[in-house]
Amino acid sequence: MSMSQALGSAIAGLQANQSALALVSANVANAGTAGYVRKTATQVAVSGSGTGISVRISAIQRELDTYVQKQLQTENSGASYATTRADMYSRLQDVYGSPGSASALETVYNNFTQSLQALSTSPDEPAAQDSVVSTAQLLTQQLNGMSNSIQGLRSDAEMGLSDAVSQANEAMSQIASLNSKLSNSSDNDAATATMEDQRDNYINQLSQLMDINVIPGDHNQVQVYTNSGVQLVGTQASTLAFNSHGTVSATGLWNADPNKSGVGTITLVSPTGNAVDLVQTNAIRSGTIAAYLQMRDQDLPQAQSQLDAIASSMASALSDKTTTGTAVTSGVQSGFDIDISGLSSGNKITVNYTDSLTNTPHTITLVRVDDPATLPLSNGVTANPNDNVYGIDFSGGLSSVYGQIGNAIGSTGMVASNPSGSTLRILNDGPGNVVTVNSVSTTATATTFNGGSSEMPLFTDGTSLYTGAIGAQGAQNVGLAGRISLNAAVIADPSKLVSYQAGTASGDSTRPDFLYQQMTSSSMQFSPSTGVGSAGSPFSGSITTYLRQVISQQGQAASAATSLKQGQDVVLASLQQRFNDSANVNIDQEMANLLSLQNSYAANARVMTTVRDMLNSLMQM
Amino acid sequence: MTVSSIGGQPAAAIQSLVNLRNTLDDLQRQLSTGQKSTTYAGLGLDRGVTVSVNAQLSAMTGFDASADMVNTRIGVASTALSSISDLGAAVKTSMSQGSYSSTVGGIQAAQTAAGQSLDEMFNLLNTQAGDRYMFSGQATNQPAVETYDHIMNGNGAQAGLKQIISERNQADLGANGLGRLNISAPTATSVSVAEDAVSPFGFKLSSVNSTLTNATVTGPTGTPAAMTVDLSGGNPAAGDSMTMQFNLPDGTSENLTLTATNTSPPGANQFTIGADPATTTANLQSALNTSIGKLAATSLTAASATQASNEFFDADANHPPVRVDGPPFDSATATTTGSSADTVIWYTGEAGSGDARATATAMVDPSSTVNYGMRANEQGLRAIVQNTATLAAVTISASNPNAGDLSLALNQRLTAKMNGTPGSQQLSNIQTDLASAQAAVTAAKTRHQQQSATLGDYLQQITGVSNEEVGAEILTLQTRLQASMQVTSMMYQTSLVNYIK
Repeated sequence: MSMSQALGSAIAGLQANQSALALVSANVANAGTAGYVRKTATQVAVSGSGTGISVRISAIQRELDTYVQKQLQTENSGASYATTRADMYSRLQDVYGSPGSASALETVYNNFTQSLQALSTSPDEPAAQDSVVSTAQLLTQQLNGMSNSIQGLRSDAEMGLSDAVSQANEAMSQIASLNSKLSNSSDNDAATATMEDQRDNYINQLSQLMDINVIPGDHNQVQVYTNSGVQLVGTQASTLAFNSHGTVSATGLWNADPNKSGVGTITLVSPTGNAVDLVQTNAIRSGTIAAYLQMRDQDLPQAQSQLDAIASSMASALSDKTTTGTAVTSGVQSGFDIDISGLSSGNKITVNYTDSLTNTPHTITLVRVDDPATLPLSNGVTANPNDNVYGIDFSGGLSSVYGQIGNAIGSTGMVASNPSGSTLRILNDGPGNVVTVNSVSTTATATTFNGGSSEMPLFTDGTSLYTGAIGAQGAQNVGLAGRISLNAAVIADPSKLVSYQAGTASGDSTRPDFLYQQMTSSSMQFSPSTGVGSAGSPFSGSITTYLRQVISQQGQAASAATSLKQGQDVVLASLQQRFNDSANVNIDQEMANLLSLQNSYAANARVMTTVRDMLNSLMQM
Repeated sequence: MTVSSIGGQPAAAIQSLVNLRNTLDDLQRQLSTGQKSTTYAGLGLDRGVTVSVNAQLSAMTGFDASADMVNTRIGVASTALSSISDLGAAVKTSMSQGSYSSTVGGIQAAQTAAGQSLDEMFNLLNTQAGDRYMFSGQATNQPAVETYDHIMNGNGAQAGLKQIISERNQADLGANGLGRLNISAPTATSVSVAEDAVSPFGFKLSSVNSTLTNATVTGPTGTPAAMTVDLSGGNPAAGDSMTMQFNLPDGTSENLTLTATNTSPPGANQFTIGADPATTTANLQSALNTSIGKLAATSLTAASATQASNEFFDADANHPPVRVDGPPFDSATATTTGSSADTVIWYTGEAGSGDARATATAMVDPSSTVNYGMRANEQGLRAIVQNTATLAAVTISASNPNAGDLSLALNQRLTAKMNGTPGSQQLSNIQTDLASAQAAVTAAKTRHQQQSATLGDYLQQITGVSNEEVGAEILTLQTRLQASMQVTSMMYQTSLVNYIK
C-alpha cells in the first residue's frame, strides 16, 4: 500500500535528517578542533518495495582538497625548517650582543686595544698595565662566554633532535596503527572519517619534523617515505633511534664513526631490523630535524670556528716570532742556515724557492708535529693557498728531522742537511741550476717574556701555550675561543707587558707599541674553513677587519634565515587558508544547513501527519 | 608564527594582526632605546660598517686620551724648561755683573746665587708629570739627576764636583803652582821652560814668538815640550818682547808676553834688562816665574775647573767619568776611568745612545707619532747646569790675591760655554721640539673631533632611529591595528548564529 510507503519514506527522511543534524552538530562542536575536517552526509535515494522510493545516508564525506593537503605537507616541513633555523639564528645573534653595546665582542675588543694604546703612551704606569690585564681578561672571558653559548645552542639542537625523534616515532607508530585499523573498516562511516582525520593529523606532525612523501593506497591505506626515498611507514612503522650526547663541545663534531662522533646520529631501524644512518645518507632534508642538524653540524660549528680564528689570531699575532735564515754557501751550492731548536709543536719552517725551469716562485711550509699519527698534513693547515705543507715528526728527536725535511723538499732539487748543532741548512742544487732558494725562515712561538723581543705569550690555551699544534685529537685552534685565557704570569706581574728583556727602562714603549700594532693593524691570513674568504683567495686583514667580516656574515645569515621564515610563513598561511576554505567548519554554512534540515524535518513530519489524517479519513468512512 | 584558522575565520587576517602587534612592540622598543635593532641581523647590509666605525671611534677615543695626557706632560716639561732657561739667563747676567765686581764679596755673592739657581735647576730636572720623571729618558720611574748636595759635595765614597775640580786643579797646577812647567836656567845666560811630563794636565807649550834682540829662542820642541831663551848673544833692547802661547786643558789658549824694560823694578809682565846677559837672564827667569804663576792661578785654574766640570758632567751610567789618576794628583800624568762607586753620577736617568726625543713616544693618530722624551744630560740642558755648577763649585777665597782675575777668567769661559757654539744644541731647540710635538697633538685632536662627528653621524644613521619617524610610524600602525581589530571583530559578529532566532 502506497500510503504506508509514504509513511516509510517520511520515517527514512526523518532518520536521514537526524543523522545530518547530528553531523551539523558534530561540525559545530569540532569547529575549533585541530585537524578536524568538515564532514558532510551523502544522501542517496533508495528504492523501496514496488514504486516506493526512500532515502538513506550512504556515506560520511570528508570535505578536503587532497592536492592542497599534499602541498601543505611539503610546505609544513619547509616552514618548520625555516622557523627552527630562524629561532636558533636569532638566539645566535644574541651571542654577538647588541650592536655597539658594552656586551658586544667588538666593544670588548676595542676596549682592549684602547687600553694597549694607553699603555703605549704610559708604559710606566701600573694603572695602565692593570687596565690592559683587566680588559684582556674581559676579552678572553667574552670569547669563552660566546663559545659556551654557541656550544649551548648546539647542545639545545642535540636535545631538540632527541625530542623531534621521539615525536616522529610517536607519529609514525600512530600512523601505522591507524592504517591497520582502517584496513579493517571498508565502510565510509563516521568512524572511518574520524580515523582518517587523526591519521592526517599525525602525518601533519611528521611533516613538520621532516620532509615526507605520502602515497595513498587501496583500502584507505597510506605509505610514508622520506623525500629521499626511505620508507618510514608501511603496514608497520620503522623507528628512529637517536644516540643523544649529554654534553656537546666545540671539538665534538659529527662523524660517521660512532666512536669518533661527538654528537648523536639518527638511525632508521626498519621493521625488518635494517638500520640506516639518516645523517650520513643525508636522507632528511627539511623539517625541524633537518634544521637542527644543519645548525648543529654546519652553522654553529662555523660560528665557533670564526671565534676560534679570532682567538688563535690574537694568540699567534702576539707570540709568533719569525726569524730569517742566514745566507750560506757550501762549495758550489748556496742556500740558508737556520736554527730549528726553538720550534714548538705546530710552529713552521717556511722555504721560498724558485723553480728555475719555469721561473715560478713556490713556498713549502714544514710544520712541526709531535704525533706521527697526524701525518700527512693537508695543505689546508695553513691559510696560504699557494704553499705545500709537510708535517715533520719531531717525536724521534732532531736527528731524524733533517732526513724528513730532506725527503719533503727532495723533489724540488733542494738539499737539507745538518752542518752542526740544531742548524738546518737548505741548499740549492748548485750547478744543476734547477732550483734557487730565496729564503728560509722559522715562525716560533715565544715561550718567555724577557727574551729580548717584543713577542710574548700573552694569551694561552688554558694553562698551556698556544702554538697551533696539530695532535691526534685535532688542531689546537679548534674550540680555542672557549679555552683562551690570559697568561697567569701576566696577571701576577703586569709589568711583563712592558719589560721585554732584563733592564727594560720603565718608559720603554717597544712592547706595548708592538702589541697595539699587532692587535689593530697587522695583517694576517684567515683560513677559508671559517666561511670568510675562499680557498683560492683567503681573507687577509687585521683582526678588526676579520671581526667585521664575521659580524657581517653572521648578521647576514641570521637576516636571511628570518627572511626565509617570513616567506615560508606567508606560503604556509595562504596554503592553509586554501585548505581551510574547503576543510574547515564554516559556522554560517552549518547554520544554513541547520535551517534547511529543520525545514526538511518539519516537511517530513508534515507528510506523516498528512498520511495519518488520510488514514483517519479512511477509518471514519 | 602560523595561526590555524579559528571557527572558519581567515587565518591570514589573524596572522597579520599578530605581525602588526609585533611591529608595534618593536617600534616601541626603538623609540625607548633609540636603537634600530638589538642584533646585528636587524641592522641591514651596513652591519659590518658599524664594526669598523665603532673600532675607529674607539681608537680615536684612545688617541685623544693619549693626546690629553701627552699635552699635560709637555705642558709640565715646558714650564720646567722655561724656568731653567730663566735661571740660566740670570746666572749669565750675574756673571757679567760679577766680572766688574772686583771685591771678593761680590764674587762670592754671585757664586752663592749660582748655587741656589743650580739647586732649583736640579729640582726642575726632576719634574714629574704624574709619577713620570720627564727628564729621565725612558727610565721614567727614576729621578733624572742626583741631589744638589750629592752632586756638589759627594756622597760617602763617591766624589762630588768640588772634589773633582780640586783634584784636577792639583793636577793642572802641579806642586810648584806653575801649571806643570819647570822654569830653570841650564846655563847662566839661558832660561828653559819645560813641561814636567807627558800628561794631559797643565800648560801645554804651543808656540813662542820673540822680538828679543840678540836672543836665541828655540822650541818648543821635544817630548815633553821645552823651550829655551838663550841670551848669551847679548842683552835685548828695551821694548823687545817675547810671546809664549799656552794651550789650556779646556781647549782655550793664553798668550803670555814678557817685555824687556830698563825700569827697575819691572811692571807686570816685564823684565828688567840687567847690566849683563846673566843678570837679564836671572830677571827673565824671575819674571817668567811670576807671570806663569799668576796665569796658572787665574786662567789655568779657571780652565782646569771648566774641564773638570765638563768631565764630571759628561758621565752617565754608560759613560764612566774621566778622573785624574791619583793620588798624588799634583804629579799625575794620566787620567783614569772612574766608576759609580767612586764618583757621583749626576745623571741618573736612562742613558741610551738613541735620540732623546724618541725616548717617549705617543701615537696620536694611526699614522702619526709624536716624540717628546728628554734627557737631563742633553747638550742644551747640560750646558746650563754644568756651567752654573762650575761657577758655584770653584773656590775663590778672600785671601786669594788673584781672586778678581780668576773670577774674570772663569766667567769668560762659563759665559762662552753657556752661550754654546754654533751648531750645538741649545735649550731653545728642545723647547721648539716640544712645541712642535704639542702642535702635532693638537692638530691630530682637532682632526679627530671632526672625524668623530662625521663617523658618529654615520653610525647614528645605521644603528639609530629618528624619533619623529618612529613616532609617525607608530601612529600609522596604531590606526591600521585598530582598523584591523575592528574589522576582525565585526567579522566575528557577522555570524549567522547571531541572527537565527
